[in-house]
This record gives sequence, C-alpha cells and structure tokens, in this order.
Amino acid sequence: MIELRDVHVTFNPKTPLETRALRGIDLTVPEGQFLTVIGSNGAGKSTALNVLAGLAPVERGSVRLQGEDVTSWPVHRRARLISRVFQDPKMGTCEDLTIMENFALAHGRTEPKGFRLAIDRSMRSRIAERLEVLGLGLENRLGDKVGLLSGGQRQAVSLLMATTGETRVLLLDEHTAALDPKTAEFVLELTRTIVERLKLTAVMVTHSMAQALSTGERTIMFHRGKIIFDSSGAERASMGVEDLLHLFKKTQGEELSDDSLLLD
Amino acid sequence: MSLYELLGTLEIGFVFGLVALGAFLTFRVLDFPDLTVEGSFPLGAAVCAALIVTAGWNPWLATAAAAVVGFSAGWVTALLNVRFNILHILAGILVAISLYSINLRIMSGPNKPLLGVETMFSDFEGFGLPGYMINPIILGVAIVIVLALVNVFLNTGYGMAMRAAGANPAMAEANGINVGRMKLYGVGLANGLTALAGALFAQIFGAADAYMGIGVIIVGLASVIVGTSLLPSRTILQATIACVFGAILYRFAVALALNADFLGLRASDVQMVTAILVMLALIAQHSGANFKRLFKPAIDK
Repeated sequence: MIELRDVHVTFNPKTPLETRALRGIDLTVPEGQFLTVIGSNGAGKSTALNVLAGLAPVERGSVRLQGEDVTSWPVHRRARLISRVFQDPKMGTCEDLTIMENFALAHGRTEPKGFRLAIDRSMRSRIAERLEVLGLGLENRLGDKVGLLSGGQRQAVSLLMATTGETRVLLLDEHTAALDPKTAEFVLELTRTIVERLKLTAVMVTHSMAQALSTGERTIMFHRGKIIFDSSGAERASMGVEDLLHLFKKTQGEELSDDSLLLD
Repeated sequence: MSLYELLGTLEIGFVFGLVALGAFLTFRVLDFPDLTVEGSFPLGAAVCAALIVTAGWNPWLATAAAAVVGFSAGWVTALLNVRFNILHILAGILVAISLYSINLRIMSGPNKPLLGVETMFSDFEGFGLPGYMINPIILGVAIVIVLALVNVFLNTGYGMAMRAAGANPAMAEANGINVGRMKLYGVGLANGLTALAGALFAQIFGAADAYMGIGVIIVGLASVIVGTSLLPSRTILQATIACVFGAILYRFAVALALNADFLGLRASDVQMVTAILVMLALIAQHSGANFKRLFKPAIDK
C-alpha cells in the first residue's frame, strides 16, 4: 500500500535553477496492485519514484508506506518496507562481491545478521534454487563476482535480490531500459511472473507506452510534475498507444514532443 | 643481513601488518582514503606509554586502551565526513594535525621513554629465548589472530554491509545499510588497529615519540599496494594475507635499501625511498602496458 498526499518537490529552491519537479501529487496504490508510470523526460516520474525510495527531498506533503508515515525516513530505513531495481544494471548489485554475497546482502535488508556469519548453508541452497528458475546457469556460479555477469544477468539477479525477504513494495526504475530488446523482454516477463506470484505492490517507471499498457493493471502518466492521466480496468484494456497519444493531446492541448515515448 | 637484523625486520613487518590491515579496511573495503593514521599511530604509542609509566597500568590493559582511543580518533574523522560533509582526506588531515598536539599533552612532552618498566613483552621473558627472538614469534602469532578476526568480521552481516557500503553506497542504502554508520565503524576499526600497532611499536623500542607517525600512511598504503599487486587478492582472505605480506616485504625493501651503502643511501633517506617504492608499485599496477611503452621508441606509439 502506497499513499502520496499532496507531494511537492522543488530542486534548487530560491535559485535561478529552481525546478518544480512535483506539483502536488496525490496517489494511492492499493495492496497488490501493479502500477506502470509513463511520462516524458523531466515530467516527474523518476522524482516520484525517488520520493518513495527516500532519495528526493519532500518539500510539502506526506508519504505513507504500508500504513506508516515514512516522509522523514532515510533511504536505509525505508529499505525494510520497499525494495528497488535500478535502471543501471551496475547499480543494483555489488560487482566486487560474489553472487552469493550479494544475496546475503539482500537478505540482510529484512533480516540483518549482525555479528553472525552473513551466509549460511540453508541460504546457499535456497538461492541456488531461485537462480535455477532463470535458466541462465547462475546457480553454478554462486562464487563468481557479479562484475563478471552481463547486464541482463545482473538485472535478473537484481530482481531476485529485490524480491528476497518480506518486502511488500517493489520499485522498478526503467529497469529494462539499458538492456537489448530480447533481454529486456526476458527481464520484463520475469518481473510480471514474480510480482504476480508474490502479490507485490509494484510501481514500474518506463519510457515505453506499449510496455506500460501491456504490463501491470493500472497506468498513470506524468506531465510537468502532475499526474494527467490515470487508467485501469476495461478502459485501459481497450487502449492502444495511439489512444494514449490522442488523450494526451486532448488534455494538454499540445503535441507530445518527446520522441522517445513513441518508440515501440 | 644478520639473523638479528632479519628478526628485527620481521618484527617491525608484523607490527606494520596491523597498519596494513587498517589501510586495507579504509582504502580498499570502504573506499575512504584515511589520513588519520598519521596521528593515531603515535596516539596509540602515547596513550600506552603514558598509562604504563605515569598511571602505572598493566601493559596489556594499556595496549587495549590505546586501541580503543585509536578507534575514537577514526570515529571523529568519519564523523566530520559523514555528518558535516568535510572531504574525507581533509577530515583525516585535520584530525591527524590536532592529534599531534594531543599527543604532546598526553606524554607531557615530545616523547615518553618506557625504559625500566614492565611491557607486554616482559611477560614473555624467561622462556629461554632472548627478546629479539621471542618478540617476532609473539607478534607473528598476534598478527595471525588479528588477520583471522578481520576475516571473520568481514564475512558477518556487519562486515558484508561494510563491504557493500564501500563498493556501492547507493545499492547498500537500498538494501537497508546505514552507509554513514558503516564508515564510522570501519574508519574507527582501522584506526584502532593502527593505534594498536603504535602501542606495540613503542613497547618494542622502549619509547613513544610525537614524530613516530610521519609516513605511516605511506607505509600502510605501500603494504596494501605492493602486497595485492604481487599476490592474488581475489577473495578477502587472499587480500588480507597479501596486505600483511606486503607490510613485511616493504620492511625488507627498506632495510635492504638502507643497507645498500653502494647506493649512497642514508637512514634519513627512508621517507624518499618509501615514496618512490609506492610510486613504482602504483605505476606498475595501473599501467603495466604503459610502463613498457615508456621504454619503447616513440615511433611504435
């Protein structure tokens, strides 16, 4: 469960570079809903995700996760409630650490080990089991440093790591944008499967309108720091990229200038 | 090189192995270049000497106290960086400079002789071996124990968190790790080890001196760089062993350089020899190919 109430974010306030990234966002994502978020560059979609993760300073408004007011919580404290997959495959994993050690870290997010050894025997077999499902052969490479994996493999590992433990909210920040189309489709499919099986509340930011409409069960669009479009259910199911563009033009009275949104 | 010199070099090598492990924690694990050690090494010596001589403490307790005080010096440096956003190198320099004055206060003067008092090493006299033979053995055992403890720690939950905090802070935060706190503990731990080395050094040589910290940062760094470029350092165990090995090797290199009369080197040249060794190791490590290219004719480029 995610609740944003009248959230305002301004970067570089009271300077010539002042940017009002979010201008009063109200958003409720009920438990177990898979939400996709689109918008052109600078529309505020990534800022909104950063507000949830605790990376963007909230000027006004409140953020609640799973019923707790987390507005003033630092990133590491929120990690108990939310997990995250980054756009850059290098960001979500620690390349100097082995696959096993990375999973041990992910485990520590919800169950810190303190002064006990971070890796135990049962963890090793459980992780090998989860990796086996990927069909990438990673279950035999638990001792390899993550830096040796390809971008797609790392992103798949990030996704599994983010869904380790008791977390209920998953944030996906254009997590397929840096991958080639085939790998992107693989990671996206994996995402759909995992979110559905674990019944996670998920928020996926994406650049692709087609991806936004074909994934999850609700889509919202950001423009200039506001949510200008919110669709789910039958209305969304019958919608194509063309309709979305048309709707955008109608509500905003202007052509959508960012070409990247039209791709695929 | 005589047996006496050999054992003496080994003895100092083991002591500086502790400094090397500290440097490994800060430079490699936390990615926090820490210059506090220039002050925390003599701090450990000063605290230990003052507690033994002036306060009449048991030398073991005094040594432990030195390590704790060293930990807090590192803690202050990390706090300046984490809480007040002072650049890590600058924070270390500021603390090291103030420690110079603090050390003069602790010792009520520029040095504190430990002659004629009980030290940790006095407890091992009477095993039938002279001090110059038994001290390296004790220190060798000590360094193995510390090495094992550091390795176990780096594989615990906290240790893993510390490694992640240094390697990928954003990912560490996203996995619930308080990166700032890890820096406080890690830099503290490194300086605790360095102060412990200082305390042992003072007890071996019979005095603590305000100037004994000069160049410690380079010794630590040199040990890490020389060790990890000569030995495999894929795993934490390998890397920590390489660091201690680097410290020993480094002492031998310095001893040989200073014994090399034919090179015309004097004892006072030790700092320069140190710096040049580190430069060479760094150049060789970062640009093995470039190193060779230096000697190739320009037309090949």
